Amino acid sequence: MREEGGVFKVIAALVAGASSLAVAAPTCGSDLRGAQALESAGYVVAYRTQPPKIEVGKHFSLDIVACAKGGAPAPDNVAVDAFMPEHGHGMNYKAVVKSSGTAKAAKPLAKSGARFRADGLMLHMPGRWDLYFDVQSAGTTERLTRSIVLE
Amino acid sequence: MTRRALLLFALAALACWFPPCAAAGNGAQLLDFTRDEVRRILQHGPWPFAWSRDPSNRVSGNPAAIELGERLFFDTRLSSAGALSCAACHVPEKGFADGRKLGAGLEEVDRNTPSVLNVRYNRWFGWDGGNDNLWAQSLRPLLDGRELALTDRRVADLMHNDLELNCRYRRAFGAPPAPADDEAVLVNVGKALAAYQETLVTGRTPFDDFRDALARGDRRAAARYPADAQRGLRIFVGKGSCHVCHFGPNFTNGEFHEIGIPVLRKLGSVDWGRYQGIKMLQASRFNLEGQYSDDATRSTAVYSRHVTLGPQNYEQFRIPSLRNVALTAPYMHNGHLATLGDVVRHYSEIDLTLMHQVHLYDSDGVPQTLPVDKILKPLHLSEREIDDVVAFLNSLTEKRTGVPLKRAARKSDCR
Repeated sequence: MREEGGVFKVIAALVAGASSLAVAAPTCGSDLRGAQALESAGYVVAYRTQPPKIEVGKHFSLDIVACAKGGAPAPDNVAVDAFMPEHGHGMNYKAVVKSSGTAKAAKPLAKSGARFRADGLMLHMPGRWDLYFDVQSAGTTERLTRSIVLE
Repeated sequence: MTRRALLLFALAALACWFPPCAAAGNGAQLLDFTRDEVRRILQHGPWPFAWSRDPSNRVSGNPAAIELGERLFFDTRLSSAGALSCAACHVPEKGFADGRKLGAGLEEVDRNTPSVLNVRYNRWFGWDGGNDNLWAQSLRPLLDGRELALTDRRVADLMHNDLELNCRYRRAFGAPPAPADDEAVLVNVGKALAAYQETLVTGRTPFDDFRDALARGDRRAAARYPADAQRGLRIFVGKGSCHVCHFGPNFTNGEFHEIGIPVLRKLGSVDWGRYQGIKMLQASRFNLEGQYSDDATRSTAVYSRHVTLGPQNYEQFRIPSLRNVALTAPYMHNGHLATLGDVVRHYSEIDLTLMHQVHLYDSDGVPQTLPVDKILKPLHLSEREIDDVVAFLNSLTEKRTGVPLKRAARKSDCR
C-alpha cells in the first residue's frame, strides 16, 4: 500500500470538500502509535489500521480518534467507507463502527477526542481506493478522505 | 581457460543478465518486462501457498476424516437413486468438473459445474457464494432435489448402518453418529467431505516456474517460458487489467463481478447470482455464525457478518481461479462460452449495454447512460493477441497433476 500523490489528493479533497493533509494536529490521537491524520475545517481524524498493512482481499479494522476544532461541535459518530473512483464501485462489505471512548471534543481542539473502532473493511482489488471518514455531529456530516494505492 | 577468456565469459554473462539483452540461449527470449509488470507477475505466486486448517471444521486436516471424506465423495449411495456420487459431476479426469455446459445430477441444473480443485482457498463457495464454508457447500448438492436429492435421514441411516463407514466416522469424530440427531450427522458428513476436498490442490505449472525464475533473477530459466505466453501475460497484467480480479497465487480475488454474460435461465427466469447467494447465506443455519461452526471465536465469520446485499449484487458471479483452466471448459457460470478463445474474445469485445447501467446528467445537463462498473471496456485485441492470452492461460495448467486421478484401492478393514 502507498499513499497517492498530490493530484489524487486534490481530487479527493474536491470530492470530499475537505482538505486531506498528512500532517496531524499533534494532540489528536497522539497516543495511537503509527496513526495517520486527516484534517478539515472542523475536524482532525487520526486513524490506525489493524493489521498495520492493508492487503488486497484481507479484512482489516481501524482505530479512529476524531477531534473537533475551531468551534465545531463534538463528533457524535464516524462512518467509514471506501470507494474505487476509477472503477466506480466500493467495498462488498459494510464497516461497523462502534464508539470506544467518550467524546470530549467540546474544546477548540480536543486533546482526547472521540474514539471509535471500525470493523469489517476489505478492499478486494489492487488500485486506488479512497477511504472516507464521515464525521457526524449535530445533524451534519463532514467528509475527510484519504487516497491509498493498494498493490 | 586464460584469464582474458575468463573475463570475456564473465562480461558476456553479465550482458545477458541485465537488460536490454533478453536472449537466453536456444533462441529463447525474455520480454523486457517493466518493474511494475514484474511486481504484478510476482503477486501470482509462489505456488502452492501456505495453508492452515479451517477453524470452523474440527476435522480439517485430520487423516481419518480425509479418508472418510474420500470414500464418501466417490460413494454412489450418497444419492437418492444410488447411482450418482459427488464424483459424477466433479470428475477427477476432467479437472474435477464435468465438461458439460450445465451440470446434471438427477436433473440438469442452471449452472456450470465448478471444479473443486483448490477449493480450500475460497472465501465464498458456489457461483453465487451462497455458502461461506466448504462443509456447508458440500451439503448443498446432497440436499438439492435436482442433484443427489438426499435427506439428512438418508445420510444418517447410511452412516449408522454401514459398518465400514460407521467405523471410519467414529475414527474421524471420536464418537459414533448421534442416534437422534440426523442433522448433526449430516453436517459431520459435510465436514469429512470438506476435509477430503481440502487435499485437492493443483500442481505446479509452467507459469509458476517462470514466475519463480523471475523472483530469483534467473533470466535464463525465465526465458524458457514460451514467448506467446509471455506476451499474453503482459496483456493480462497490463492493458487487459485481468489481474485486478484474477489476483494472487490462486488467480482470483475471491469476490464477484458482473461481466455481461446472459442470465436468463432456460425457463425464462433470471439467475440473480450473488444477490440470491447472499440471501441464501444469511438464511442458512449452516453458515459460520451458526451453531455448527467449530470456530468458537467466530473470527472466520467476519466476511459473512459484514457482507452487503444490494442491487449491485444482481447478476454477479464468483470470479473463478484460473489454475488448470484449460481442463475445465466450457466457461462462465452457465457454460456460455465454449473455449478459452471465446472467453478472451468476450472480454475483448465486451458489450457494455449488457451490463447494469446508471443514468445521470453530465456537467452540461446532458443525460448519460453509463455502466455502473467502469473496469470492463472493450480492448479490441488482435487475433494474435487473443492467441497470446490463450497461450498464457494454457500455461496455468499443471504439468503433472497434483492430485491422483485414479484412487488407490481401499481396504474395507475398519469395523
